[in-house]
Amino acid sequence: MQKLDFLLDESRKGRPMTLALACPYGDDAIGAIIGAKREGIVRAILIGDEGRIRTVAEQDGYDLSGIDIVDEKSDEKAVEKSVRMVSSGEADLLMKGLVKTSSLLKAVLDKEWGLRTGSLLSHLFLFEIPNLERRVIGISDGGMNTYPDLNAKAKIIENAVACYHKIGIPQPKIAALAAVEAVNPEMQATLDAAALAKMNERGQIKGCIVDGPLALDNAISEESAKIKGINSPVAGNADMLLVPDIESGNFIGKVLLYMTEGKGAGVILGARKPIVLTSRFDSMQTKLLSIALGAVVARS
Amino acid sequence: MEQIRSLSQLLEYAKKIGAEKGPKKISVAMAEEAGLLSAIEEARQAGFADAILVGNSDKIKAAADQAGVNLANYEVIDERNEPAMGITAVSQVSSKKADIYMKGQIHTNNFLRAMLNKEVGLRKGKNTISHCYFHSVEGYDRIFFVADAAFNMYPDLAAKADITQNTVNLARAFGVAEPKVAVLAAVEVVNPDMQATLDASALTQMNRRGQIKNCIVDGPFALDNAVSEESAKTKGIVSPVAGKADVFIVPNIDAGNMLAKAIVYFSKNETAGLILGAAAPIVLTSRADSARAKLLSIAAAVTLSDFQK
Repeated sequence: MQKLDFLLDESRKGRPMTLALACPYGDDAIGAIIGAKREGIVRAILIGDEGRIRTVAEQDGYDLSGIDIVDEKSDEKAVEKSVRMVSSGEADLLMKGLVKTSSLLKAVLDKEWGLRTGSLLSHLFLFEIPNLERRVIGISDGGMNTYPDLNAKAKIIENAVACYHKIGIPQPKIAALAAVEAVNPEMQATLDAAALAKMNERGQIKGCIVDGPLALDNAISEESAKIKGINSPVAGNADMLLVPDIESGNFIGKVLLYMTEGKGAGVILGARKPIVLTSRFDSMQTKLLSIALGAVVARS
Repeated sequence: MEQIRSLSQLLEYAKKIGAEKGPKKISVAMAEEAGLLSAIEEARQAGFADAILVGNSDKIKAAADQAGVNLANYEVIDERNEPAMGITAVSQVSSKKADIYMKGQIHTNNFLRAMLNKEVGLRKGKNTISHCYFHSVEGYDRIFFVADAAFNMYPDLAAKADITQNTVNLARAFGVAEPKVAVLAAVEVVNPDMQATLDASALTQMNRRGQIKNCIVDGPFALDNAVSEESAKTKGIVSPVAGKADVFIVPNIDAGNMLAKAIVYFSKNETAGLILGAAAPIVLTSRADSARAKLLSIAAAVTLSDFQK
């Protein structure tokens, strides 16, 4: 996959997906949704205090005509309604506005009307990297799971693999990253990576090729892999980087977004439907791409 | 060389080394037991070994008389203090006067302490010293190497990597060009709650990254899919090692010991053992071992010593 813009095209195909946006009281979320609607990526329903939503939209000059608003003054209830809309099928994906992530996730994980599947929720960020030939690379999990253990890492891979299948990569190559490509008994990341590679070989993680430990350089650069003498179908060709912890994932992601001309798209996976969770610091392009990614994943 | 596929073949190979290159010299700590001297004498007559006997010379003489061994064919070093016997015997090896260090009547503690001695011992840096049982089992076309079933109790990953490399080197000395190593666990899938399966995964990757050399490592395997291709196929395991393993790395001494003893007592087999990973091969047989087992251990030590030269 070369460019992320294909997500925009993909999301426009077929029946438009409906997005439930909870508590859109910040200019960022409303702006993104207006943009997404204009681009024809999704239909949107805004759930929250209608007066407050309209005031924010007016201040920033956004036109809300043609967008459904469900009036619900309490944040907690607005979140619940948004989640219920998605679990009932009235909406296809969920997006977070100006409400705490923890409140949204609590609702998502509600046993009665939430979106839990028994899997782990995880965050996947796809990046388009201008100075790499294979331009789109995913990172997981740099946003949600802090210090995943081996079981959690396996689930993070499974979530990502399901997403890759939906975006048209049938056998994603997954690099389990560590600081080095050799197994070091003192470095848990290398041990977990080796176990994940084996779980893949034994059919415990399917639909992808996992190898590790790999260092970032030999995961993305064939030349670096060659110099190190690493013989692996993943080395130099990784579609996704499984990072050992949230810090490493976060750092790679932020370098890509802030220090390169890269753009990205993020989504939370592992629930019955995707959840879009953008930050106000994301560029409009990243927000739109994230919504589009959510819409593509939502399409079953 | 041609692969040695049974312990009878091992014996023939050791004889060939003796005939072509002369006998290897064994340095024996506390060589005061008749059974041991008989085995050494047999190896000497077969032409592949010679020995320096360290211990109380009176007791060595008595044991030799009992075994009908003529001591004129041996160098005897008289030493009456047991710890000193170990030091004297091991010094013969570290100073290159002998090729193989062998335990006689000496307590295992004293024997090993001498082997680990910083000045005259045989330790190779930090390399883990390990034990290997090798079995030829009727119905199989190759020797099975099992480690570590006797020396390291609960080895961690780093120790298992050393054990694997030590054992692979022995298999290579036996002419197995690229030994296939199965790292055993109770199951062939990775289970985060079973350390053996995690270590097995790590050892596989260490092999792929060149951290364990000259072999093909795979695991976790249950024993059945390591020895039986059919079982591996049933389980859907695709691996060059499945059903073809030469070397079996066991998770700990309990499992390993029971595996080795099950082979010894339940199958038609020949079995011997060797201590590996030191600067020279080490023979540590017990008094309970048969004369044949002792002879086979010596033959293996001679073969390994020749390979390492």
